Amino acid sequence: MNLSKFNQILTQTLLLPVLALAFVAGILVWQVRNAERTVSAIQASGESIAAATRAEKLIVDEETGLRGYQLTSDPRFLKPYRDAAQPLHAELDLLRRNLIAHGESTRPVEAMEAREQLWRVSFADQVISTIDGGGDTRDTTLNLEGQKKLDDVRTGINDIVDRETALRSQEVGRWRLQVRRTIEALIVLALASGIFISVFSLRQLHRVSDAYQGTLDGLRHHAQATFDSEERLRTTLTSIGDGVIVCDPGGCVELLNSVAQELTGWTQNDAFRRPLEEVFHILNETTREQIETPVAMVKRLNRVVGLANHTVLVRKDGTEINIDDSGAPIHDRNGALSGIVMVFRDITRERRAQNALLATEKLAVAGRLAATIAHEMHNPLDSVSNLLYLLRGEKDPNTAEHYLTLAQQELTRMGQVSRAMLGLYREAKNPVTINIKEMLDGVIVLLERPIQQRQLTIETAIPDHLEVHGFPAELRQVFTNLLANAAEATASGGKLILAARATSVKTLSSATAHRGVTIQVCDTGSGIEPEALEHIFEPFFTTKGELGTGLGLWFSRGIVDKHGGSIEIHSSSNPEDHGTTITVFLPHTGPATTQT
Amino acid sequence: MQESAQVVLCVDDELVGLQVRKLILERSGYIVLTALDGPTGLTIFHKQKVDAVILDYSMPGMHGGEVAARMRELKPNVPILLLSAYVGLPTEVTQLVNVYMTKGEGAPALLEKLHSLLQVPTLH
Repeated sequence: MNLSKFNQILTQTLLLPVLALAFVAGILVWQVRNAERTVSAIQASGESIAAATRAEKLIVDEETGLRGYQLTSDPRFLKPYRDAAQPLHAELDLLRRNLIAHGESTRPVEAMEAREQLWRVSFADQVISTIDGGGDTRDTTLNLEGQKKLDDVRTGINDIVDRETALRSQEVGRWRLQVRRTIEALIVLALASGIFISVFSLRQLHRVSDAYQGTLDGLRHHAQATFDSEERLRTTLTSIGDGVIVCDPGGCVELLNSVAQELTGWTQNDAFRRPLEEVFHILNETTREQIETPVAMVKRLNRVVGLANHTVLVRKDGTEINIDDSGAPIHDRNGALSGIVMVFRDITRERRAQNALLATEKLAVAGRLAATIAHEMHNPLDSVSNLLYLLRGEKDPNTAEHYLTLAQQELTRMGQVSRAMLGLYREAKNPVTINIKEMLDGVIVLLERPIQQRQLTIETAIPDHLEVHGFPAELRQVFTNLLANAAEATASGGKLILAARATSVKTLSSATAHRGVTIQVCDTGSGIEPEALEHIFEPFFTTKGELGTGLGLWFSRGIVDKHGGSIEIHSSSNPEDHGTTITVFLPHTGPATTQT
Repeated sequence: MQESAQVVLCVDDELVGLQVRKLILERSGYIVLTALDGPTGLTIFHKQKVDAVILDYSMPGMHGGEVAARMRELKPNVPILLLSAYVGLPTEVTQLVNVYMTKGEGAPALLEKLHSLLQVPTLH
């Protein structure tokens, strides 16, 4: 039911009872008006009777005065007789007007007046003039005649009174009837309109009630749907395997799902309305510096952001876990920032697995170089051993000196190889300044033999002064991998280039350029197929079958990422310019909070 | 010790190692011919009288295995001692040669093995 329909029902419910009551009132008014008319008719009859009665009394007064004068001849007795004439006319006029007003005939009044006039002229006035003349008025005949005339007058008046009385009674009867009918009508109409209003109102109320029920059902349905939907969302949120934290635009916590509560160690109630930094305390794993939260970043950049690499979440109890996370703004309809949602997950296990794989790969680098190292150690060892054998029987001091010099040279070479090898595995605890040339020379020392064996030439263009900040052993492992790959991929007679230069690189997340060193490892091998190139940095991907672990490039990228750098590969299998170039950029700053 | 000096051909790309080995062998009475790579060694082996060969395995271009195979084709009876800085060489290579030893075992071991190698033909 819409609002206009509802208004229509309301109007009907109000208007129809009013109309019914107005109808009842109209009938009652009509009945009362009729009764009033009857009452005024009764009143008129009463007045007529009263006027007739007063007229009769005046006639009695006239007669009494006339008789007094007859008996005493004292003119004072004539006063009532004379005084009565005027009021009598007035009363009769009143009577006449009453009768006319009620549509009755005035003839009886006129007849009665004429008789009174006859009595007065033909009897009373003669008696008076006889007495005035000193005559005698005691004549019986005369008096009887006078008496008879006056009786006629009285009879006339009585007739009028009787007639009016009869009329009055008739009107009273009618009035009673009207009153009864009015009461009956009142009862009937009251009952009828009451029933009508009740039935009508009931019907209208039923309509409204039905509509209300319908609306209620609709609302209940909507409420249930909303509840179901909310429940589903809540369940979804709770069931998500990742931690989810929702913040208001001010960066205060509004909601933590169960995983987030578990990971942070904060309950929803404890964390509610607290600043995110307090609940979600994150540090850089390496530098231990506090990292800007994703919420702060989202507020700053107003877009989806990822988290820095190597982020550690400090839980409420002080324990730490490795996490990976991202933040995204929540916009309202108008596009204004209404909140921030942050998703994160525990990657401690992943990190451990990764570390285990990294350790495996470090061993693989060792394995890869084991034969070379053994060879590089055995050759000088053999020479030194042989020189010692010669020295034992040598008498000539000059020759002995020559042997010693040779032995010394061979030992120096052994030391060089040994240091290069150690440099691959002995890691600094904290990032140190690394001279790029020294580092790459160490790599070349170990790979010289396989390169020579494959009859490859290696060109190097590495300036002396280049430096970066980082972990030297890891970087040596990276370039050992890259250079060994290049050597293995290149056919006999091919060429390898190892070049480094100072550069500055712009990254996606930062407007300012990073200054650092770009190192390129190029080969003239057959190149890598585009399909393989897509997966080249994935773990366990290898083009060498059983001979490769498939971790070398994945490992290398991990280390380069850790140093805040980047690694790119370009390869061509075109017969004219085949070969592969791997470009590694390392920023001066080294491992830090570089956002991805 | 032989009455006439025996000729030993040494092939190794390691110059110092080669020179020192030459001295030791000469001191033990051998005539020593040297080559710094496989092809040179093969030429000498082909052209001159050689009683035994001491061959390095790891060399640029042509490794010891290939050189030994060619020598077997040319003069199957000349004993070859494969001397390598590597351990665990493939069997198809070690089967080609009479003796296989790793560098660093010392001069006496080398001389002894060479001596015994040169003894074998005279027994037949």
